Amino acid sequence: MKGSTSKRLAKLQKEGLTTLFPESTKIMVGSASCGIAAGADAVLQAITAEVKKKKMDAVVQKVGCIGLCYLEPLVDIIIPGRPRLTYGNVTPEKAKELVAAAKKGKVLEGALGKITAEPFLIEGTARDYNGTAGGVDDVPLYAELPFYRKQNRIALRNCGFIDPENITEYIAKGGYQSLASVLEKSSPGRIASDVERAGLRGRGGAGFPTGRKWKICLSARSDEKYLICNADEGDPGAYMDRSILEGDPHAVIEGMLIGGYAIGATRGFIYVRDEYPLAIERLEKALEQVREHGLVGEKILGSSFNFDITISRGAGAFVCGEETALIKSIEGDCGEPRQRPPFPAESGLWGKPTIINNVETLATVPVIAAKGAKWFSSIGTDGSKGSKVFSLVGNVNNIGLVEVPMGTTLRDIIFDIGGGIPNNRAFKAVQTGGPSGGCIPESLIDLPVDYDALTKSGSIMGSGGLIVMDEKTCMVDVAKYFLEFLESESCGKCTPCRVGVKRMREILTDICEGKAELEDLTRLEDMAGLINDSALCALGRTAPNPVLSTLKYFKDEYLAHILLKKCPAGVCKDLITFSVDKKTCIGCGACKKACPADAVTGEKKKAHKINTKKCIKCGACREVCPVSAVLT
Amino acid sequence: MITITIDGKAVTVPEGTTILEAAQQTGIWIPTLCHHESLTPYGGCRLCAVEVAGDNGTQIVSACTFAAVNGLVVETATERVLNIRKFIIELLLAEAPQAKVLQDMAQALGVVQPQRFTPRNELCIACGQCVRACREIVGVSAVDFANRGYERIAAAPFFQRSEDCIGCGTCVAVCPTGAITMRDIAEGEKATVPDGETLEGPARIMDNWKVGFKMKRCTKCGEPFAPEFQLEQISKKVSLPDDFFDVCRQCRM
Ligand SMILES: Cc1cc2nc3c(=O)[nH]c(=O)nc-3n(C[C@H](O)[C@H](O)[C@H](O)COP(=O)(O)O)c2cc1C
Repeated sequence: MKGSTSKRLAKLQKEGLTTLFPESTKIMVGSASCGIAAGADAVLQAITAEVKKKKMDAVVQKVGCIGLCYLEPLVDIIIPGRPRLTYGNVTPEKAKELVAAAKKGKVLEGALGKITAEPFLIEGTARDYNGTAGGVDDVPLYAELPFYRKQNRIALRNCGFIDPENITEYIAKGGYQSLASVLEKSSPGRIASDVERAGLRGRGGAGFPTGRKWKICLSARSDEKYLICNADEGDPGAYMDRSILEGDPHAVIEGMLIGGYAIGATRGFIYVRDEYPLAIERLEKALEQVREHGLVGEKILGSSFNFDITISRGAGAFVCGEETALIKSIEGDCGEPRQRPPFPAESGLWGKPTIINNVETLATVPVIAAKGAKWFSSIGTDGSKGSKVFSLVGNVNNIGLVEVPMGTTLRDIIFDIGGGIPNNRAFKAVQTGGPSGGCIPESLIDLPVDYDALTKSGSIMGSGGLIVMDEKTCMVDVAKYFLEFLESESCGKCTPCRVGVKRMREILTDICEGKAELEDLTRLEDMAGLINDSALCALGRTAPNPVLSTLKYFKDEYLAHILLKKCPAGVCKDLITFSVDKKTCIGCGACKKACPADAVTGEKKKAHKINTKKCIKCGACREVCPVSAVLT
Repeated sequence: MITITIDGKAVTVPEGTTILEAAQQTGIWIPTLCHHESLTPYGGCRLCAVEVAGDNGTQIVSACTFAAVNGLVVETATERVLNIRKFIIELLLAEAPQAKVLQDMAQALGVVQPQRFTPRNELCIACGQCVRACREIVGVSAVDFANRGYERIAAAPFFQRSEDCIGCGTCVAVCPTGAITMRDIAEGEKATVPDGETLEGPARIMDNWKVGFKMKRCTKCGEPFAPEFQLEQISKKVSLPDDFFDVCRQCRM
């Protein structure tokens, strides 16, 4: 590294370390969207006020999300001489107590976990918090918590650890070192090869090898080339990318700079949905900082590489995540896909060679550049290297963001990390890959999660949504839900997607209402194949997947709806009637109270009854019954 | 020049030629709905699906948008292709059962009116020819698509009276299903613009775009020959004598 550059980074690194590891107490509040939604702002205010009131010498900071979204608001506290402790479900009152205790150098009970040393992934080191003073022996180590034990945080390396609005902390953790050494020691072709050899595949859905894509673009001849970061993230229930942007924006920017260098680009764009105001705010701040420190613009870090980055806001249409639609949208046109080829790597934004990469893909790049292809490819499976971030949602105890090595089984993710299914219910299926992914049944719970295994199972990796479903989920209803989503997100340009998906959804509605015939199942399969073959873009082509995968694994359920006119899971209203099991009912009256339609009658301590004429099938009685006496 | 193979026949065409154009040159019929030779290829209806050989087996593409590359091998009438075309027509027939072009196409492809779907009876099949013609040929972009997905339909902005339509009727000429209507009202008759005013003839009404025009009479023969608004707009764009549009085309010659 050139002397002046390394000196400059070293100076910033030193500055960052002073707030990362202050001499004084440090208090961090998880302030990504998930934390803020749970009340993190009020907690932060309470802490700041209390620190001021007590005239305490403490660093109070916002950090990104550490993944335990179901326990937000989260507060981390480092008292000099002690390990770092995390507290969950913190209220402003509890926050004040935490501060008061910290002032006295004491720790409060109830910490979820402790960290004795903070990992520095890029450097491959860990720096301990000098936690020599005891008193927290009963608090489990983070690394041993079931939620974290099987995780390997690469893309999420800094989320929850650094102040996302402070570039010096990112640099302190090894940030921009990769860029500096790539610019100095590597050629574009070499870094593209490194990333190819690392085996990094795109995290945005299709799983195309990133390095290979870069090489195609590098070899395209053009006066201008562009790199676009795809932060459209439109899958329902998915927030991996948002979390990275909110918790570690510089990781994405550094990834863009390295990618831009690798393909010979001069400009980069971050296409981010308007519904992500906090991510946009943090990105804007981060871009200001890199500009100030000469990390974007002309002659970056004293090299001959020029690259600038602009934020482009999208209106949040799901289809705008598709490459060609995204390009149209940046160009100021209506975001509609066009046929490929030509592929954007040859002719993209304004007709110039363009690479589109996902947020998580880009956030992973600096680590590969620092630690090498061999290190990265040692993690994961044959065809899928590294780790993948999943947003684990649905009927699962620990809802949150997890990053696991490729090849981790669904069982590990759902039962160990996710803590299993709530309410003593049985696991039924997990939906992976976003709206056009598929549902994987219990029989495949030991499936190792990687691109190829998921595809073989009839689902896809997609961008990393994992929606867990319990036994009370109707799979026909699930398929209908996803088709409704895709129907409403279709741009309407091509016939198979615009009309075909709608007609498939109509058949599903008929099945759920008991109006379908057996032939409809073959019809659905035929239509699915034809739409898959003929639609213009991947949205349409993959739209039938939810139907195909549920038909593959849950055909019984379709048959029950069609032939027996029954919904086995008790979800499809037209096919169920609610009644009370006289023998089980304890006459507590909870159902009577809960019923919004006055349909339940019965005296205390005697079996209750449901008047089916009045019943609106809302299921409130079933939800509240303590002895599961409400039958469907 | 490049050479490609369509249904076993070698065809030599200039680079950049689409599969559809190459097929047409060879006399191979590929059905289309959203395509028009004077407009930018669109690839929306998917009726022109053909099978091309690629790296991993064959692939379906729309012939109208796919630029041929040297050595390309194309099949236009495989079972896979024919099934897709039938499917597209079945879907569209349920949208617009009364459209002649669809009935004819159905007959040509051996499709019977599908019974499974409730007919919609909406003539606009979102092929976008009117939108492209208005933008690319007329140059006024008076109409565009409104709504998304299944509700997508060609309309004037916000479904209001079109401010820019000049009543030229190009959209009517290109519309394959007859979804766009243009009415010329004779002297002494009256007609109402949808959601709008009542006009006395001679007038022209574009129902879809909710706009009506008074017609200009030729100062020589006295016949109404074009919407006044259209002539005003054209005069602004071209430098012609002030009185150029006072007479109709016939009388000018
Ligand atoms: C309908 C549709 C929506 C998509 N949405 C996204 C998205 O929100 N984010 C994303 O990164 N990729 C999305 N993709 C995939 C992108 O088209 C593209 O493959 C990806 O951004 C490439 O980056 P990668 O190689 O790093 O994965 C979507 C694709 C389709 C067809």
